[in-house]
Amino acid sequence: MDELLVCMEGIQKYFPGVHALNNCSFELLKGEVHALVGENGAGKSTLMKVLTGLYKKDGGTITYKGSNVEIHSPKEAQNLGIGIIHQELNMLPHLTVAENIFIGREHKAGPFLDSKKTNNEASRLLESLNLNIDPETKIQDLTVAKQQMVEIAKALSFKSEVLIMDEPTAALTESEIESLFKFIKQLKAQGVGIVYISHRLEELLKITDRITTMRDGQYVNTVKTADVTIPEIIQMMVGRAIYEEPKVQSMVPEDAPVSLEVKNLNSKQVKNVAFQLKKGEILGIAGLMGAGRTETARLIFGADPMTSGEIYIDGKKVNIKTPYDAVNHGIGYLSEDRKRFGLALGLSVKDNSSLSGLERFSKIFIVNDKKAEKETNAYVKKINVKTPSIYQLVKNLSGGNQQKVVLAKWLIKNCGILIFDEPTRGIDVGAKSEIYKLMNDLVREGKSIIMISSEMPELLRMSDRVAVMCEGRLTGILNINEATQEKIMTLATQRN
Amino acid sequence: MKGIKKILSLAVAISVFAVSIAGCGSSQPSSTGNTSSTGADTSAGGSSSKPYIAVISKGFQHQFWQTVKKGAEDAAAKYNVDMTFDGPPSESDINVQVDMINSAIAKKPAALALAVLDTSSVTQQLNDCKSKNIPIIGFDSGIPDAPEGTLFATASTNNENAGALAAVSMFEDPTFQEALKAASTDKPVTIGVQSQDATSASIIGRTNGFINEMVKKCETLFAGQVAVTGHEKFKKAASSGKAAVNIFVTIPPSSNATDSQNASQSLLNTKGLIAAYASNEASVNGILAATTDGKDLDRANGKYKNITVVGFDAGKAQKAAVKNGWFLGSVTQDPYSIGYLAVELAAKAIKGEAVEDVDTGCKFYTAKNMEQSDIAMLLYD
Amino acid sequence: MFKRNNKLSISGGSAGFQKILALSTLFILYIFFSIFGNNFFSVATLVNILDSSYYIGFLALGMTFVIITGGINLASGTIMMCSALLGGVAYNIWHWPIGMSLALIFFVSTFFGLMNGIMIAKLKLPPFIATLGTMSITMGLGAIISKVMTMRYPTVTDPDGWFKFLFYKTSGGFPVGAVWLALFLIIAYIILNKTIIGRYTFAIGSNEEAARLSGVKVDRWKMVVYTLDGFFGGLAAIMYAAAYTSIIPSTGNGIELYAISGVVIGGTSMSGGIGTVSGTLIGVFIMSVLKQGLMAMNLQGQWQTFFTGFVVIGAVLLDIYRNKKANQVKKD
Repeated sequence: MDELLVCMEGIQKYFPGVHALNNCSFELLKGEVHALVGENGAGKSTLMKVLTGLYKKDGGTITYKGSNVEIHSPKEAQNLGIGIIHQELNMLPHLTVAENIFIGREHKAGPFLDSKKTNNEASRLLESLNLNIDPETKIQDLTVAKQQMVEIAKALSFKSEVLIMDEPTAALTESEIESLFKFIKQLKAQGVGIVYISHRLEELLKITDRITTMRDGQYVNTVKTADVTIPEIIQMMVGRAIYEEPKVQSMVPEDAPVSLEVKNLNSKQVKNVAFQLKKGEILGIAGLMGAGRTETARLIFGADPMTSGEIYIDGKKVNIKTPYDAVNHGIGYLSEDRKRFGLALGLSVKDNSSLSGLERFSKIFIVNDKKAEKETNAYVKKINVKTPSIYQLVKNLSGGNQQKVVLAKWLIKNCGILIFDEPTRGIDVGAKSEIYKLMNDLVREGKSIIMISSEMPELLRMSDRVAVMCEGRLTGILNINEATQEKIMTLATQRN
Repeated sequence: MKGIKKILSLAVAISVFAVSIAGCGSSQPSSTGNTSSTGADTSAGGSSSKPYIAVISKGFQHQFWQTVKKGAEDAAAKYNVDMTFDGPPSESDINVQVDMINSAIAKKPAALALAVLDTSSVTQQLNDCKSKNIPIIGFDSGIPDAPEGTLFATASTNNENAGALAAVSMFEDPTFQEALKAASTDKPVTIGVQSQDATSASIIGRTNGFINEMVKKCETLFAGQVAVTGHEKFKKAASSGKAAVNIFVTIPPSSNATDSQNASQSLLNTKGLIAAYASNEASVNGILAATTDGKDLDRANGKYKNITVVGFDAGKAQKAAVKNGWFLGSVTQDPYSIGYLAVELAAKAIKGEAVEDVDTGCKFYTAKNMEQSDIAMLLYD
Repeated sequence: MFKRNNKLSISGGSAGFQKILALSTLFILYIFFSIFGNNFFSVATLVNILDSSYYIGFLALGMTFVIITGGINLASGTIMMCSALLGGVAYNIWHWPIGMSLALIFFVSTFFGLMNGIMIAKLKLPPFIATLGTMSITMGLGAIISKVMTMRYPTVTDPDGWFKFLFYKTSGGFPVGAVWLALFLIIAYIILNKTIIGRYTFAIGSNEEAARLSGVKVDRWKMVVYTLDGFFGGLAAIMYAAAYTSIIPSTGNGIELYAISGVVIGGTSMSGGIGTVSGTLIGVFIMSVLKQGLMAMNLQGQWQTFFTGFVVIGAVLLDIYRNKKANQVKKD
């Protein structure tokens, strides 16, 4: 059981102008789940890219099963038995499960593809992993969780003995995470060594054996999971202690004015949703994947057409047909997928921040850039966006700072109602608490926030009330003083 | 930093303009002033001190121009001049030809020989040459309506005569006569004419020459009953109001092969069609494409065996059609002489000799005479 | 997160980098042809280079906006020819005064620009398909209305000859067209970099959905961009008419490829979001210098087409290579 699979020692990696990895070490035993943690940019992904041959190391040694190896390409890593599951899934949505598993090494009968053999092989593989997935289903018809399992199955089909999982639970719901963990335990029993990269520290305690921490491209230490607590891990990661107070009691007065009310909201995925959002309140929306939370937010924001429903802002009925209408009524939406729906990555911080409020800075089409710069600078400072200048392209910022740029956009537009959809997804721990602090500051200033989240601790820590959705319906709204994980889960699974 | 870079490159782009504009503005008078040195300047670019003649044709796409080029090259060798032969890729490319002429003038030639696609598009350039004392010789279709004093002489086919020759040859054909005589106002016959883009004077000349001659001949049989229909430019009603003979003119939307073929196809299917005349190689190719390379015109068993066709120019396919008797015959110009005489005129003009227009001639060739050496040499492949 | 900050400027100036490269290419080509071309290094040739750039220059300026939004306009050349033909019909056949004929040119080209915009923004047709349709429509319409006859604009000797002096060249040979091109380069620069239209153009090209969700009326601004492109097509048509006088029906297709090439050579990314108007003009001049230079070396027009291909491929390869490099550095 204690057989050493991988040992990386003194790894160095330079990028133009950056010392990305400085003397990093890492080891993995057979049948071990080994967590690799650190803030974004700490070098976890870079280290794993060196291990999988995507990057060439500039120094140090890699030992694999007792012998010294040089890994020059992902193909070589694959041949050795090192597989990786990326955070963003690399699946071809229009092809079937079986075709995806065997892409690049298709079974052939003469010059033609042998789809029968492909399907048979795939179903044998899936069965051996106790996965109940039809190999002939198209990837696009599977849930994200199932897609992930297929990706893992694909990696294992290369006879992998080392499996690297980069944020495997980022897109999964609680129950899906449970089944993934079961799956991981099964692999572990089969002797597969797993490198587990995640920001969700609660998970680490559940699933991993050891934890290696990295910070700023350097190795910090390796500890037994059983010996540490979450605050200790956080302290190792950020080099300082972060203390967060869970919310016990809502501070929003009972008679606070209602800033947003929706009635009878309907669409294909949303059924009869109605709720009120009070001024200065954070309304959490909980639910499993596919519960219709994002869909509800997009309806309110005018991003998708509603079949029926009424929206009232400050008591007045408004007609929202497009995001343009919503923005002009002071609603801002921070999508869970910033890169697709929130940011023009190729543009600067300034251009992104001032995009929604641009008309405010313009006279007869001519943009007053001085004014836009001034205001951007003010907000960059206020919400602490870490960027060398406001002319920096957004694609070069970290996830947390990108999220702040989206926030700056809505603040510059002077939006009073902000919808945060998974505000801390893919954001490291340090930036996370900063986002939380910002949200608290915003409601204190009188803004109202709807926060969609899949993370229970986040919901319980931030919300004044928690609305729970299931299958497109609102199944209940809990005050924070009565909300518990159990109650939320009960409502979230209250199917018809 | 980025902003500065932007402004900088914008400034550079603008200054490129500024410099060039300033340059032309100031140096214009001087370049017009030293016209006497043009002859000496010519040597600057060339490898020798031979005078340089730029020849710009209407195209390269037809074999016709290759034969013109051959004639021009032979004359250049004989008169000991440097010569370049250039032309736009198609006869619709007026802009390309204008750019070529501009470029040729920039090379300070001793003379220019031109077959322009469109005179008005080069008026300014022609005047420019006049002021720089560069003699201009027209060839082939030449430079119709050239501004006063710019054009020294033209070496070309008299297109009206060539068109008339086609009409006369067609009219004298017994089969045609027979079909024509069967016409009446109740059962009129049609003589089709396929021409090309109504821009080119040479093609208009051939078309007009044919139409006028054919009208004249037909009037001898059907006085007042001959009408010209089809394209607006040529339209003429029968003087009696009722026509027994229709001369129908079709012009395809462009000179490309498909358009020509489509036009030919619909022409051939015109009711009462007894004969067709194609006024240039592109039109001939259209008819050939529409008749399975001419086979459908076979007198014995072709699909269109009763239609008498007269073509223009040469080319492998057309020659075969004439040779097989599918075409009654075709009119040919003398492309070799056109090229040769153009350069000869230019060479003479450079020396200051008086030059005048020359007719480069044309011939009607049929299956019978096309093998004769004097005709065969005019028929390019 | 902190280390990232020093990598920043690498991709920041990338659009500028390619432009500077294009500018050096332009000068190197100019010097090359000056040495090896027959009488290339002369004011006359410089004027020729300008002359043959006008209409493609204007088309390319309009096209720059379209390509920055991530779109394309295949009808650019035929819209130009169609509006020039219709203006010619008005002048030659309906005997409109020249001024009104020119106004008609703008009306027609802007109308087809708007039509492209409506098809793409409102009817959600892919730009490639929509403008392919417009290409055929405009080519056909021009031929129908002109009855397949060549339309002529006044020449210098005509009473309306001032039209040529105003837009092309004065009687003294001063290239007025270059002044217009410079003027509209500045106008295009201001629109692209200083106005809401330009800002939204970049935003749409960089991430259309994010722009929509930021409250940008994407549909409306796309229509504005295509209409603007149509307007530039009208300018190009006037320049073409002034330079070449005669407009032949059923032509113009193929010209859009030169406009697109100019835009791409100038450093605008075909995937949208990145681009400059001054780069575009440099790209157009590179093609003109190639054309005039090859003619000065007695190589015919087809050689220009041939070499332009290499320049375009080189420019696109460079674009891809740069993006790859920037992305590599970006990920940690």
